[in-house]
Amino acid sequence: MDNRYDIAIIGSGPAGISAAINAKIRNKKIILFGSKDLSAKLIKAPKINNYLGFYNVTGEELKNQFQRHMDSMGIEIVNERINNVYAMGDYFTLMVNEKMYEATTVILATGVEYTKPLSGEEKFLGRGVGYCATCDAPLYKGKIVTIVGYNKEAEEDANYVSELAAKVYYVPMYKGEYNLRSEIQILQDKPVEIQGDNFVSKLILKENEVDTDGVFVLKDSVPPAQLVPGLEIEEGHIKVDRLMKTNIPGCFAAGDCIGKPYQYIKAAGEGQIAALSAVSYLDS
Amino acid sequence: MKEVTDSTFLEEINGTGAPVVVDFWAPWCGPCKMISPIMEELDSEIGSKVKFVKVNVDESPQVAQKYRIASIPTIMVFKNGVPVDSLIGFRPKQALKEVIERHI
Repeated sequence: MDNRYDIAIIGSGPAGISAAINAKIRNKKIILFGSKDLSAKLIKAPKINNYLGFYNVTGEELKNQFQRHMDSMGIEIVNERINNVYAMGDYFTLMVNEKMYEATTVILATGVEYTKPLSGEEKFLGRGVGYCATCDAPLYKGKIVTIVGYNKEAEEDANYVSELAAKVYYVPMYKGEYNLRSEIQILQDKPVEIQGDNFVSKLILKENEVDTDGVFVLKDSVPPAQLVPGLEIEEGHIKVDRLMKTNIPGCFAAGDCIGKPYQYIKAAGEGQIAALSAVSYLDS
Repeated sequence: MKEVTDSTFLEEINGTGAPVVVDFWAPWCGPCKMISPIMEELDSEIGSKVKFVKVNVDESPQVAQKYRIASIPTIMVFKNGVPVDSLIGFRPKQALKEVIERHI
């Protein structure tokens, strides 16, 4: 395939940018996914004194330096959110809603901003708990489904599910107007735990509890194991070796997503290792 | 890969001593589309030792119900007609292969 990238980098914090710069120096065809602010955490930092060569800078100033560095090397950020990365064997497919990209290697530099799973969420995954309501909705025909929605897009999914399910509860995790079909019951409450025997039977909330056959958790940012199905996680972080290799051949990771300490220069160093590992994987 | 249905399912999983790998899928499921070429590849690599079939859960709701398929793709391994392993959601090729080969 002509438009297959050598390296797809997911995340535009220090790890991702450092990976991009080093991969570009090694003349690889790269694509960098992220946001124009680079990193929400970086621009919030009031003062940074532990980044070698930049004494006494604000996060904003360091961000601008990173941006200048990227500009001078012709590296652009593609402002798109990757929903899933599928390891196909000798390449990866990266999904952005309906669109997809292909890359021979992937570097995960996603940071650690995802919300913690609900109690019982991981235990019942695939046995009543799901992350793709539109995928699994037809399996809940005539059943009770609860949707825990972290963003507006979850409302569309809820509306779709309600056309098939016998009953839909919607638990909004954000404030605002809810554009939902009238038969959907909104629960303004905080989910606490998903319960059941072999399969989900109940969602416990702070004030209520509801009987339900399925719970869909629709989040803004997805944890790495959900982003890349089959990825090995250890104590909440992506498991890597010294060369930043994950358990999936061709998939590397760097920065906060692989573990503490959460520091800029550590992230940048790891991004560099990951890029060089990806380069040697490509050249082998 | 052979498509099996509610009416042919039992016969297909019982008819052989070899493990039978069943791919539960549906046309509207994105991850199913991604896993299907991988299953085809595995079929051509180890198809002499393992039988590969697929079930469209839309067209065969009874089988899906019987094995309580709550999420797709689900890949189930049967031995002598009994489910011995199941993998829920997309998995990389190597991971699928390792699990299937355990039952050969």
